[in-house]
Amino acid sequence: MKENILEIKDLVVHYETDEGCVRAVNNVSFSIGKKTILGLVGETGAGKTTTALSILNLVPNPPGVIKNGSIILNGVDVLTLPENKLQEVRGKDVAMIFQDPMTALNPVMTIGEQIAESIMLHGEKDKEKALARAKEMLEHVGIAASRSGDYPHQLSGGMRQRVVIAIALACNPRLLIADEPTTALDVTIQAQILELIKELNRKFDTSMLLITHDLGVVAEVCDEVAVMYAGRIVEWGTADEVFNHTLHPYTEGLFNSLPNLRKRGEDLVPIKGMMPDPMNLPEGCAFAPRCPYAVPQCEKEVPELIKRGTHLVACRAYEDGNFKLRRNSNG
Amino acid sequence: METVTAKSTNVQYKSRSLAAETWRRLRKNKGAVAGMVFIVILVIATIVSGFIYDYETDIIGQNISERFTPPGLKYPFGTDQVGRNIFTRIIYGARYSLTISVGAVAIGLVVGVLFGSIAGFYGGLVDDLIMRVNDVLYAIPNIMIAVVVVSLFGTSTFNLLLALSINAATSFARIARASVMTLRGEEYIEASYAIGLPQWKIILKHIVPNCLSPIIVQTTLLIGTTIIAASSLSFLGIGIPAPAPEWGAMLSEGRDYMRSAGYICVIPGLAIMVTVLALNLLGDGLRDALDPKLKK
Repeated sequence: MKENILEIKDLVVHYETDEGCVRAVNNVSFSIGKKTILGLVGETGAGKTTTALSILNLVPNPPGVIKNGSIILNGVDVLTLPENKLQEVRGKDVAMIFQDPMTALNPVMTIGEQIAESIMLHGEKDKEKALARAKEMLEHVGIAASRSGDYPHQLSGGMRQRVVIAIALACNPRLLIADEPTTALDVTIQAQILELIKELNRKFDTSMLLITHDLGVVAEVCDEVAVMYAGRIVEWGTADEVFNHTLHPYTEGLFNSLPNLRKRGEDLVPIKGMMPDPMNLPEGCAFAPRCPYAVPQCEKEVPELIKRGTHLVACRAYEDGNFKLRRNSNG
Repeated sequence: METVTAKSTNVQYKSRSLAAETWRRLRKNKGAVAGMVFIVILVIATIVSGFIYDYETDIIGQNISERFTPPGLKYPFGTDQVGRNIFTRIIYGARYSLTISVGAVAIGLVVGVLFGSIAGFYGGLVDDLIMRVNDVLYAIPNIMIAVVVVSLFGTSTFNLLLALSINAATSFARIARASVMTLRGEEYIEASYAIGLPQWKIILKHIVPNCLSPIIVQTTLLIGTTIIAASSLSFLGIGIPAPAPEWGAMLSEGRDYMRSAGYICVIPGLAIMVTVLALNLLGDGLRDALDPKLKK
């Protein structure tokens, strides 16, 4: 039994707006073990970022309200912590890498100061020492320490993302949340950053929650994968299980809509339809209206996560032991 | 690390801070440099004049025998209707304009930026409350407020300063609020929450420094307008009391001799005009220099 750094149970987050209630996250439960990289995959609007912000208890309020659930980080429930204790947790126990490195750095502070700021906030009182440590962190992410006096506008996008990573890792957090860390970068830089993230993950013994909609990134980096759809986890397993023994029809749809190197020239099969409006979710399985396997029963009740070894799936079809996705039966 | 692009070398990269970068670009703007030079000279002259001139004899001492001497070698700007040296009075008088305008703008800056940032940062009811009061004050002409304050509390430099600072505060509050509102949504502000920074530190260290550019520009421009306002009040006789050599008051006194000795009027007018022009040139230059879009 692995020790878990993060355990989320029955998390429900709603955005209560004038137009209605947006049910962004509905009963999400998952956990991340020590030194594990969990990939959280899903379309735009599936609730990935909201889940991540909940871990920091930073869901913008109003309109965001955490309705239910518990988030145990390092043995402490962050949802019940008072603000001053939360400030100690943020940055020290859990740190976040933001999506767009172009805007995630303060343009009027040197990068060295920005890394040192986080270090000084969590223990180090001496400014010189903090700056020295900041330089060390820069070296770790592959930027010469002599550039610590630079301002963000003097760096390229890839280098800025390295700085953002350095800030996140400066206090040795137990858990690192990376919210689409490579979306804003071009492909060659993406590969470098992913390599760096993997390497630092090993070096610093950090667990990681990697949020992405890029399955390639997941295959590259993650140990485990959780697939999210309309605010729910629909499939959760090791990367091998999810990629090679896909269980959920939605995950299958995602793979089918990707080009396959071995079957060049073949038409891509997109998932038909759109993700349901989170303000107006269907009564049953949220994927049922788009699901090629759906039966009338699917639209009546929300499927629970079913265990298949270590592999979890939320699909009613597995109540019948013989059910197989087309992708798997074709080999 | 194979993926590492930058090797740790001893090469010293040239890092320019925002201030250094602004200064470099400001120097290229001839108008701004001229304005700055003029203001520096004026400030030095004001400070020095306090030591070399005696207020009782050189500034307000009357010398009827030499009244209405036109500008010449002995009196560069001539003498006025009671024989006072206009040159020394202008130099000495700069202190009134400068202290009142700088003082009023400084008070306005602190008060305006404070309330503006609070309104912009918290939004909602607080924002409404602060900005509606601001709108009301903004709607009243600045001279009018000053007239009311001065007539209620009497004419003194401090009252004048206070009256003019209200106008400055309203402008600053608007600018600060607008900047803070755009900054509030920036990702680096969200990121500062994520590293556990308390709110007041985020405002002080991340938000305020980022809205300094428009505030600096507004400061220089407002000092100019405030000089005009202060002089107008003195011209109307409710500013600095006579016989102090306030530029507006000198202009007002010279009115009666406009036909016979026009320079008595023209010279203080020119002094006001050139000073405000210099400040505006500097303000425009700063605006261009601080504009990130021009960054090369």
